[in-house]
Amino acid sequence: MPKLQQAMMLTDDGYRDLKKAIFACTLTNFSMLPPFFTLVQFVAELLRPFTGGAISPTKLWILFGAGIVSAFLTYLCQRNDYRKTYVVSYTQSKRTRVAVAEHIRRLPMSVFNSKNLSDLTSNIMADVANSEHALSHLAPQLIANGVSITVTCALLAIYDWRMALAMFITMPVSIAVVTLSEKIYGRLAKRFMEAKLDASDRVQEYIDGIKVIRACNMDGERFEALRKALREMMRNAMKFELGAGVFIMGAQTILQAGIGITTLAGTTLLTGGRISFESFTLFLIIAVKIYGPVITLLTLLPELFYFRIGIRRIRDLMAIETMDGDKEKDITSFGIVFEHVDFSYNKGETQTIRDLNLTIQAGGITALVGPSGGGKSTILKLIARFWDADRGKISIGGVNVKYIDPERLMGYMSFVFQDVTLFNDTVLGNIKIGDMDATEERARAAAKVARCDDFVNKLPEGYNTTLGENGATLSGGERQRISIARALLKDAPIILLDEATASLDPENEAAVQEAISALIEGKTVVVIAHSLRSVMGADKIAVLDKGRLFEQGTGEELLAKNGLFAKLYDIQRESLNWTAKK
Amino acid sequence: MDKEKSASKTGFARLWQIAMMKKPLIIGSMLLSAAASVIGFTPYISVYFIIREILMGFSDVTPLDAAALARYGWIAFAGAACNIILYFAALMLSHIAAFGTLYRLKADFASHLARTPLGFHALTGSGKLRKIIDDNIEKVEGFIAHQLPDFTAALVAPVAMFVILFAADWRFGAAASVGVIVSIYKQARLYGDKSAKDMMNKYQSALEDMNNASVEYIRGISVVKAFKRTVYSFRRLREAIESYTDMVIDYTLSWEKGYSASLAIVHNVFLFIMPVAILLGTFTQDYASFAGTAIFYLIFSQAAAGILTKVIYASGALMQISGAVDAMDAILAQPELPLAENPKSPTSFDVEFHNVTFSYDDEKRTEALSDVSFIARQGEVTAVVGPSGGGKSAIASLIPRFFDVAGGSVSVGGVDIREIDPYDLMNKVSFVFQDVFLFRQSVLDNIRMGAPEAADERVIEAAKAAQCHEFIEKLPQGYQTVIGAKGVNLSGGERQRIAIARAIVKDCPIVTLDEATAFLDPQNERLIQKAFESLMRDKTVIMIAHRLSTARGADQIIVMDEGRVAERGTHDELMSRSGRYSEMWRAYAGASSWRMARRKEGTGNA
Repeated sequence: MPKLQQAMMLTDDGYRDLKKAIFACTLTNFSMLPPFFTLVQFVAELLRPFTGGAISPTKLWILFGAGIVSAFLTYLCQRNDYRKTYVVSYTQSKRTRVAVAEHIRRLPMSVFNSKNLSDLTSNIMADVANSEHALSHLAPQLIANGVSITVTCALLAIYDWRMALAMFITMPVSIAVVTLSEKIYGRLAKRFMEAKLDASDRVQEYIDGIKVIRACNMDGERFEALRKALREMMRNAMKFELGAGVFIMGAQTILQAGIGITTLAGTTLLTGGRISFESFTLFLIIAVKIYGPVITLLTLLPELFYFRIGIRRIRDLMAIETMDGDKEKDITSFGIVFEHVDFSYNKGETQTIRDLNLTIQAGGITALVGPSGGGKSTILKLIARFWDADRGKISIGGVNVKYIDPERLMGYMSFVFQDVTLFNDTVLGNIKIGDMDATEERARAAAKVARCDDFVNKLPEGYNTTLGENGATLSGGERQRISIARALLKDAPIILLDEATASLDPENEAAVQEAISALIEGKTVVVIAHSLRSVMGADKIAVLDKGRLFEQGTGEELLAKNGLFAKLYDIQRESLNWTAKK
Repeated sequence: MDKEKSASKTGFARLWQIAMMKKPLIIGSMLLSAAASVIGFTPYISVYFIIREILMGFSDVTPLDAAALARYGWIAFAGAACNIILYFAALMLSHIAAFGTLYRLKADFASHLARTPLGFHALTGSGKLRKIIDDNIEKVEGFIAHQLPDFTAALVAPVAMFVILFAADWRFGAAASVGVIVSIYKQARLYGDKSAKDMMNKYQSALEDMNNASVEYIRGISVVKAFKRTVYSFRRLREAIESYTDMVIDYTLSWEKGYSASLAIVHNVFLFIMPVAILLGTFTQDYASFAGTAIFYLIFSQAAAGILTKVIYASGALMQISGAVDAMDAILAQPELPLAENPKSPTSFDVEFHNVTFSYDDEKRTEALSDVSFIARQGEVTAVVGPSGGGKSAIASLIPRFFDVAGGSVSVGGVDIREIDPYDLMNKVSFVFQDVFLFRQSVLDNIRMGAPEAADERVIEAAKAAQCHEFIEKLPQGYQTVIGAKGVNLSGGERQRIAIARAIVKDCPIVTLDEATAFLDPQNERLIQKAFESLMRDKTVIMIAHRLSTARGADQIIVMDEGRVAERGTHDELMSRSGRYSEMWRAYAGASSWRMARRKEGTGNA
């Protein structure tokens, strides 16, 4: 893959488009030369009487006409250039955004654990916007300017190498200043980016935690963490802008010294009679104009360096391996077996699951109980292959989950979890997440079984009411019921329940319990329940503590054993009798 | 910032108002930039002088004063260098002003958010709000740091240019001016008209949609994975991305012709001078002086390019920034909860709801509370029970004034809470809600949020009372452990206890508790109950109870149903009445005896 394509994170199409854009841009630059050339010719013609020649008005008019025509050409080239660079870069950005989003959904959950929300969103949004800018405003112009400057330089050198040398002698020096100082402002840029990301995180946190912020009287600057992050960002932005500015301005000043050098060289040559008056004038006219494109080059260069950081971050994200597997594999029976499974959320951390051996019987109810942090939720997530085990094997119907495509695997399971995520869609749309092909009747029937009817009918447009961002207007219990409706609709052979009846009031709880009884009919069920009484009827209860299987058996067996389960059972009875009083 | 004014001004006037937050720096920067732009003409003028010098003695080059010519060369360089240095100084000042202003705007915006009703946040979406702080306000930096000095230069330079142009020869001056005016006119057409502004607004909202879609996409990733629906939510994001792309391409292409024409004119202003030169040249008496003037104009018109391109960029950017600031102002225009003119401070701590009517959304939703009245006595426990959606949470949200009532009043110690300074009110009320929010800072600081001046010892004491101390000590850096750092995974119960510790350290006379024990494992639940006990000591307690047994011992139980008070009394009173409450108890007893099991085995469904 060509280096430029790699550096800009381009697809093959994108790279081809970029080449077109560069070509169009170079064309525009070159199209500026003919009008300028007519100007120079015009001046030369005006000077002719001074060297003994005669002036020709016809020739002047022709030059003027040529000027008009070539200016029109510039216009056409510019339009072409505009179309090519902008349309191309926005189209490419779309591809990149979609590709990043596509990639993100294939990433293992572990990535979402270690990278936070605003970091990932920023990857999609800001970084792509940056690379978009680099594509539309920087790369083509930079390369086109490089090409046209080189060509102009060569042409002038052929015409008079001494004057050309005087004119361009400062250019390598100033480019060197910009390039060599890259390390310094590259570092400043990196720090600035980090500070910006941190501030962005803080802002998100501030907004998400606005209740606490308000309750603690910590609005705006009073919230020290936000104040610090914003200040830090301000400081770093200043350092970066000024740091980079010093070098660029310095380089520009060095470059402009060329005007003086050109005049000096010209007058020396002229008084020595070694250069014609016309050539000298011509070089002078060029000298006041030529540095423009070079300055553009000098300003674009560090910008490009800056934007490369964003591009690099996208590349890092895209380099994270996705979770793949067999997309065709069928599972025909639904017993789940853990064999010597070890797992930790982050490498080098204490293991959440240690040497776990557990058999979950097909078509039975298996309850996972134990203190929090025992690894119960992790077990559900491992079954669903949100993560892969570090060691050992997890299989469903004899098939190692590691070799099944995550989405195919999901097809076999329904979840009802504590935290329900809702989308900015209608209630019905949110339920139909369970089965997109379901008819409205089926979706409504599922909703009814999950006891959604009561509250949905109170919403202004019933099932067609749009919920806000993450369904902010619904209560915990309402959300839970939508989640049960989703699972009912999905009708998968394996059901994973994590505290499904939490945050329900008693009446609804009884109703949802009914719904759950309907849901689990004939399915392999793995349930995490804190209410120990509610799982006493399970086929098997596995008691987990600190990632290990502590004991297992039926409810009666475990109570008789008088171990951890029995102890928890007692504590719970005690707290059920707790009441709020002085 | 004056809220009235900020809301009324738009466009440039508003941007100017923002810039004037740092007046001396801005004025200084503008002056420097103007000076820089005028000095920027020096090279062109110097070159003209050199040519004139040569033309004067063209027949014989030897007597030419090489040193004098070279001096012009160096003057040209000095002019160029001064231009750069002054411009840099201008930028330095403008950047200092810009970053200071950004900081102020962001901080003010953030505090505004904290003073608007919470319903506004739910409807607006955090993605949008964050974008305003991260991107929109950030754009102001461009305006103050770059556009403002450039704009000054772009205004001053043409004026200086016109003076110079007309000073030498009005006929050439007029011709060159036509070129400059045509291109400025083209610019004005491009940015000024209404459809351009509409486009801009559409662009902004497409960008916002895309932003919200991506926040939602990532937030929901675990669910969409679980339901094998990544394609679905992915499709939504893709649609947002596509409509943004279409929008931005349309938007950009609408500029294609105008922009290209401006550029073609700006770079070739000399084309306006050429015919004048030819016509004048044919009739001139003094050719040498004519030629000098003509050449001067031809060279000088080149300077127009540099200045006018600055105008192009400056005005284009101005449009974008103005749109961005409008979005910020739209949020700032959201009414804050009104403040009392002469705030009163309560001295006793009964909480009274008097005929309270309330709905989360002014138009859409049915009333969350209608005509609710009760008194929670100082030092007593008042439990609020009832089915979900009955209005329990609404009651809890009204006491800290997250929302204002639509009718009736909520008062503390006889003072309507709208009459109390919000800061003062927050010092009287603390609460623990189900959705515990911890900040990415040390555990110590998270607890200390309740009382920023509290000494470490007091924080640790509160942590002990909230049953947190033990698990905090076990964290990698103890109390200094940063929440959310690698390897720090707190359970729901642990987070809840930290929130309780926060409320304990805050030590307010009124405590609102939203019980969420159902999420917790038995040990945690027991610990939280103990923590609650420490928190409740000697306070006016309003307990939103989800489990009836919790309410049983309360001094007063308020039974809510469909936004109304259905019943009120102690447990024994209510049970003897066989109304709503005793009905709920029956359901509760049934629910808690439920066993998850196969139906066919008949192991008892309630």
